[in-house]
Order: sequence, then C-alpha cells, then structure tokens
Amino acid sequence: MAAINLQKAGKKVLIVEQHNLPGGCASSYVRGRFELDPSLHELAAVGSIAKPGAIRRMFDDLGLNVNWVDVKDCFRVVGRYSDGSPMDITIPSGKDELIAVMEREVPGTTKKMEKLFRLFDEINEGLGYFSTGENYNLRYALKHFSNMLIVGSHSCKVVFKALRLPQKCIDILSTYWSYLGVDMGRMSFLHYAMMVSGYMTEGAHIPAFTSHELSVALEDKFRELGGQIWFNCRAESFLFDKGRVCGVKTAYGDVACRYALANVNEDIVYGKMVPKEIVTSRLRRLSNARKQKYGARMFTVHLALDVPHEVLGINDYSIFMLGSADSEKEYRDIMKGFDSNNFSILVCYNVANPKASPEGTCICSITTFGSPADWDNLKPEDYALFKTKCAEKLIAQLKERTGIDLAGHVEEIAIATPWTFARYLGTPEGCVYGHETADWDDIISRTLQIGKDYPVKGLKPIGAGGPRGDGYSSAYQCGEMMAAMVLRELDEMEAGA
Amino acid sequence: MKEGRLRRLKVKISNFKLKDMLDFKNLPLRRDKAIDSAEDKVIQTDFPINSNARALHPAVQRMVVSRIIERGASDARTLILTTEDGKPAAWFRAGQYVSVSLKIGDSRVTRPYSISSSPKLTKDGRIHITVKGSKNGFVADYILKDLKEGDSVLVSGPEGRFYHDPLRDSLNVVAVAGGSGITPFLSMAYAIRDGLENFNLTILYGSRTEESILFRNELESITEETDKVQVVHVLSDEQKPDFEHGFITADLIRKYAPEDYSLFICGPQALYSFMESVVSELNLPVRRVRREIIGVSGNMVAGPCEEEVFHTITVHQGPYRFEIKASSKETVLVAMERAGITAPARCRSGECGWCRSKLLSGSVFIPSENDFRRRKDKDTDHIHPCVTFPCSNLEIEVPRGDSEV
Repeated sequence: MAAINLQKAGKKVLIVEQHNLPGGCASSYVRGRFELDPSLHELAAVGSIAKPGAIRRMFDDLGLNVNWVDVKDCFRVVGRYSDGSPMDITIPSGKDELIAVMEREVPGTTKKMEKLFRLFDEINEGLGYFSTGENYNLRYALKHFSNMLIVGSHSCKVVFKALRLPQKCIDILSTYWSYLGVDMGRMSFLHYAMMVSGYMTEGAHIPAFTSHELSVALEDKFRELGGQIWFNCRAESFLFDKGRVCGVKTAYGDVACRYALANVNEDIVYGKMVPKEIVTSRLRRLSNARKQKYGARMFTVHLALDVPHEVLGINDYSIFMLGSADSEKEYRDIMKGFDSNNFSILVCYNVANPKASPEGTCICSITTFGSPADWDNLKPEDYALFKTKCAEKLIAQLKERTGIDLAGHVEEIAIATPWTFARYLGTPEGCVYGHETADWDDIISRTLQIGKDYPVKGLKPIGAGGPRGDGYSSAYQCGEMMAAMVLRELDEMEAGA
Repeated sequence: MKEGRLRRLKVKISNFKLKDMLDFKNLPLRRDKAIDSAEDKVIQTDFPINSNARALHPAVQRMVVSRIIERGASDARTLILTTEDGKPAAWFRAGQYVSVSLKIGDSRVTRPYSISSSPKLTKDGRIHITVKGSKNGFVADYILKDLKEGDSVLVSGPEGRFYHDPLRDSLNVVAVAGGSGITPFLSMAYAIRDGLENFNLTILYGSRTEESILFRNELESITEETDKVQVVHVLSDEQKPDFEHGFITADLIRKYAPEDYSLFICGPQALYSFMESVVSELNLPVRRVRREIIGVSGNMVAGPCEEEVFHTITVHQGPYRFEIKASSKETVLVAMERAGITAPARCRSGECGWCRSKLLSGSVFIPSENDFRRRKDKDTDHIHPCVTFPCSNLEIEVPRGDSEV
C-alpha cells in the first residue's frame, strides 16, 4: 500500500520482498482442490458500497477490484459467564442489533449500552479531531471530547467497571480481546472503542478469493504504475550516509534510495539491519522495555472438508470458544502452554462465501494462540507429533462444546504453528502482530510518540510492526499514512534545497 | 458533537476528573518513563522459535555424496548424502522429498527426489535418495554416469505433503508403487519400524521382473521386524510363484486392503494413467486417495503446442533482463535452466508454487493435471514456469533463483 501510494505520486519505487509471493500473511496456498487462507478471519473498516469504510475507499481509490464478501454476524461465543452459567450468544453486526441482543441476554442493559456507544462515537470523533495533525484547540477538545480525555489513559477493564456494566455484559464485550491479542486489563479502551465501533458500524468483510486476492491486486497495480518488485530477494541491511538512509543491501547487490520503508519487525531492523552507531540509546531501551513481549503467535488448523458446512451443523461464520470469561485469566492460561489453553476460534469461510471451496465441500480453520512455553524447546523430531496432538485437542473441544464433529470428513489438513510463521515471515518468535499494544505501549501512546520512536532519517516503519499495530486494516492504513509522511518530508526537503 | 448528546454522557472514572484528563495528557510521559527505566543493551534478534524453524526448514543443506550404491538391473543408483559439517540433517516426515541442486555445464538445475531412508538417520547427518534412469533424463543421466563419491551437492529442506497424517488418513494405508516410486514408501516403512510413525502399511509394488525390484532385501528385512508393514510384489513381465502377476488392479487392491484404508500412489506417469480407472472402480472418497505428483503430465502433447516450435522468452529477474530461446516442447523453467538462468524451482510439478512468476505477455499452455495455481493467479496471468509451455514469444518476470539451492 505504501509502495503504490508513492509510485502513484510519481516516485520511483522498488519492492524488495524476501518471499516469492506478495502479502506476507495476506496470502493463500493450494492443497488438492482447495485454496486456503493462512490468516484472515475478517477485515474491519471495509463498509458497504453505499457507505464505504476506510479500507474499501482505499482500494477503490486505487482502482483495485476486490470481490468483498459481507460477513453477516460478528461471531458466536460459546463458553461460561464469570458466574459459571452457560454462555452461547451470537454477536450481530450493527449497534442497535447488539444492544437488542444484549438486552435479551442481560435484561436492563439497554441504557448502559447506549451510553457505551455514545462514548464510542465521541472517541471516534475525538480521535479524528486529534489525528488531523493540526494544532488543536484545548478548549474545544475539553468541551466536545471531555469523556474521551477522561477514559483515554484507562484500560477496558477500568472503563467497563466505571460505566457500571453488569458482569455478564462485560463478559460478552470482553470476547473481542483476542482480535488484538491483549487482555482487557491491559488493552487501551480507546483502541477497543475504535475496533469495536468499526465492526459494529461497518461490519466485517472477507475477499472472495482469500486474502491473496488483496495482495495480488496490490502487486499488479504497483506493476501497472511502473513499480518494480524483486521477489525472493531479502533486504539484508540499510546503508547510510551522514546518518541518513542512502541505500539497501539486497541479495542482488546494493540499491541506492532516498527513503526505505521497512515492513520488518523493529527489533530486526534496529538489531540487525541498521549499523550500531545509528541506533540510539532510546531505540535500544524501547526494545528492552518491551521485553520481547510480542503479540499473538498463532496456532491454526486449516481443514478442507468433503461435505457442505450445513451437513456438519456449522451455521456461524465464526465461533469463539472460551476457556474463561475473564480475559486476563484466559491470557495467562494461554501463555502457560497448550495444556492449560482452552481458547479457540472456529471459522467456516463457506458460511459467508459459498464459493470458498468446490461444491459439496467446505473450508474451516480452528485458531488459538501459541505460547513460547511450548514452541521454544520443542525438538524438530517431536514437532509433527506435538502439533498433531494440539490439533486433535482443538477438534475434540469443538465437538464437545458445539457438537460439530469433523471426523471422517478431513480431505486436506495443514497445521500452522509459530514455527510456520517464523519460517515464512521471519518475524521474532513467529509473531504476526509485532509487539503487544498494551499498557504504556498501547496504540494511542505509540501514535503520540511517532516522532520519537522512529528517529532514523530516511527510514519509515510499515506493516504489523508499524505504529498502527497489528491487523490487515491497520497495516494498509499504516502504509498509506507512511507514504503520505514520506511525500510530505520529500516536499519539505525539496522546498528547503 | 451535538450539545444534547454531550450533556447526557458524563463518564466518571475516578473522583478527580481533572486527574484522569491529566493522565491522558501524560501518556507520552508515562511511556518515556517506562522506556528510560529499561536497560540500554543490545537488541535481541534471534529466538528459539526462529532457530527451530530454520533447523526444520533450512534454505539449503550442504551435503556430500558419501557413498553410491549401484542398483544393477534397475538402472538406478542410491546416493547416501551426508552433511558437510557432520551436523544432523533436517528432520523430515517419511514420504517427503528434497530438491537437489546440481551444476551441470553452465546450467544450475534442480530435481526433486523422495527421501528413501528413515528420518532417524538425519541424526547422523544422513539422507538417502535413489535416482533411476529415464528417457531424455538430463539430470538422471548425469547422476547415473558422472556423479562420484565425494562430490558436493546442495539439497533443500524437506518438502512435500506425501506423508501419513493421522487426522486425515486411515490407520491403514495401501501403497501402490511403480519403479522408483517405492522410495517414499520405503521411508515410511522404515519410520514405522523405528516407531516414528504409527499406521499399517501394505505396499503393492509393481516391477517388470523379479530382477528389477528395487530395495527387495531392505523391504523384506523391515517386514521381518514389524508386522505393521506388508509387501506384495507384482510383476508385469514375469509369472513366478510367490509373486502377483500383471498390473495393480482394483481386484488386487481389494484382495489385500482392509475394510477402511487410504490409497497412496507413487510411480511413473504410466502408473498414474493406469490408476485413474482403478481408483474410479474402487469408488473411494477423494480424501482417501493421495498421489505424489512427480513431473509434468504426459498430456502436454494434447495441448496446442503439438509441433515443436522455438520461441523467444524475455526474462526479467530482479535488475537483470535475459532473452532466451525456448522450445514449445519444454517448460519455461527448463528453457531458463538451459540458458544458464538460476530460476527458483522445487517440486517441478506445478504444485508447490515456488516458481510463481508473472506472465507479462504471450500465450502459454498449462496441463490441467499440473495446474495448481491460486484462483486469483489464474485470472491475473501468473504462472508456474515448471509446468508452463510457451505457445508464442513470452515476456515474464521471475523471482530470484535460489543460488544456493
């Protein structure tokens, strides 16, 4: 996205891609008669044709033709509430719909939920006001966004309590935690508000032909605009002249440039690709303050099944199966390792997209998080056995919790572990989300310190490791934002020259 | 923001509204404090998960041909490959292959070969592959005639998905092997014997004559050590006691197969063609049949490039541009290798997609049996050169070749 925006603005852009495919996680692979998506569950900020969201607008503006498929409901949650009673609720798209469902499940919550949504609205307007980059008027902000300023430094847990939401209501609202990989005790409420209100107002979408469709659309557009791509060519390091990036060392040789945009985890950039003398003390301290706490490492069982989803009783696009309604406990249990991890998400692509696989078949994935506790010390010879054991547990849990029995229908199976992501992405610990966006390092705090976090002249971060954090939508938006920043800086440089 | 709405919404976190607002204002200070209090030490860039992933999937394994075993009447050789540094070779799942890279003349070529040894041998830095002679086999000829003990070869990490998966396959596997197609099954048999795999394997192994059977002694000794492996030799050109005679038919499979089984097939093109009707007669669900795809379908002659014609292919690879000649009878990948271009290649069957390239102009033929491209790639003129035949002059953009593999 960054490369296209720069190329479109008349700059000469080269993409140096370590893999032989574009997109990183936004990809696909073929198994027999099936094409499987390695990562995407759903995209936020797409919106409808009539009311496009930021992502649809971005793709449309570039003339990219993506076959967006609407995912009707947000998800179904199966588990137990904090009080031990059974939870089985389908979270719909749309604010009014969610409020109605919540009222049915937890009577007497309508007013409180309306208040929550009004707060979301204020936050979105407030963030829009602050993110214009222009000098803001404090008095205006205090008058119009005072609630945002009050909740702005607090976690979801604190704000939910302050809003006096009933615990059952909090249990339901907390299920969103896994989308950001950070529990409610550490997740910034503002970040949560942006994400959830986005899903509520704009719904969720997937591309009809897996996320590879997005990447190939971007790849071809970039080429059409005159950009060059070197696939299967790693960028080894950045070259500097007088403290400023002047080139990139690649497997084909050195390439001169005025700017380098790195879709590489910051620890790899500053630990490996930038000369020591360029890396400031703050950059080293920032990395060490983060204590290598990387965001989600995924464990996913991809399944191609030889019957339609209806036959298996799968009627929901995604089902969240909780180990605990308390997201902090859930997170701790996940990090302890697979034996204590009881969280998973089933996605069945055919529920939203009947053409996701050949007629009479369907494609599903069961995803949970992987913990270094399991994957750090595993021996290569035990790898296949262990990942199979983990997959067996997820399939068995699915049957136990929902009655959905996949046995006897698996035509293709692929199990992706943190090792798989480390192999294909090269990210630290195979993480897909960059560093955790939590506590002092939440997305808001990072955004407020962009200038301090990226002090190396001529070098900009993009992708999941960038300042907007993880996820498809964030990565595309980050690319667009960084391209705009580079263009602005280039203009300033040219004006000053 | 409407005034009315603002008045109705009054969120209170603590008793001091101003303090909450100040906390928000001070988020950058809070962050600075956390960063400043951290140690100023070297940034960690490698992690156990990453080094484990590299050990399991190395980009390249530098190996030496430590021993060659001639297979006499079978016109085949087994190469025992040992890691140059004596460290363990990459662990693999029995049934997987490696892509072997050789420099022959000016060309850097690769060929996929199934590993025929037990995964256990990787601990000693060893894997075995067996290469059989074939008509017009440029690389096979080189390996059979010119490769010597002590020669170095570059070998990829283990690749492919032709292995038993307990979550997908039956506990009983009936393997149909032809010629050197026995190699992945030999590895599976070893793995079962060594307790690394747990399924029952019945191998129906087709050979022309008793003399041409590959690995007869090895298979016999495995069946003596474990009752989970059974081998039935099927001779097409000889009738002998203790051997089945003829071809591997549906009746023969039914004779030896248990009630529930997965059918695994590996062998030359002729075997796959023959097995098409056999599989259909057996009426097995798709999930119960697995084929190891080896090479390009023989059906390419039925394509539009029937007559051999020569075309020019303009190849863009990174900063380089090449113009090469290409026969309509050979794949784009072979044309590039002949011209000395190091092109990416692994499975050479269209399946793995490692050579995925962009067709900028021209027309091509891709046999449907080998067309494993992603759906969107088909719409957008992306090709897998290893199974793509030129039908006109072409202009293509290919990824950088694996110079090391």
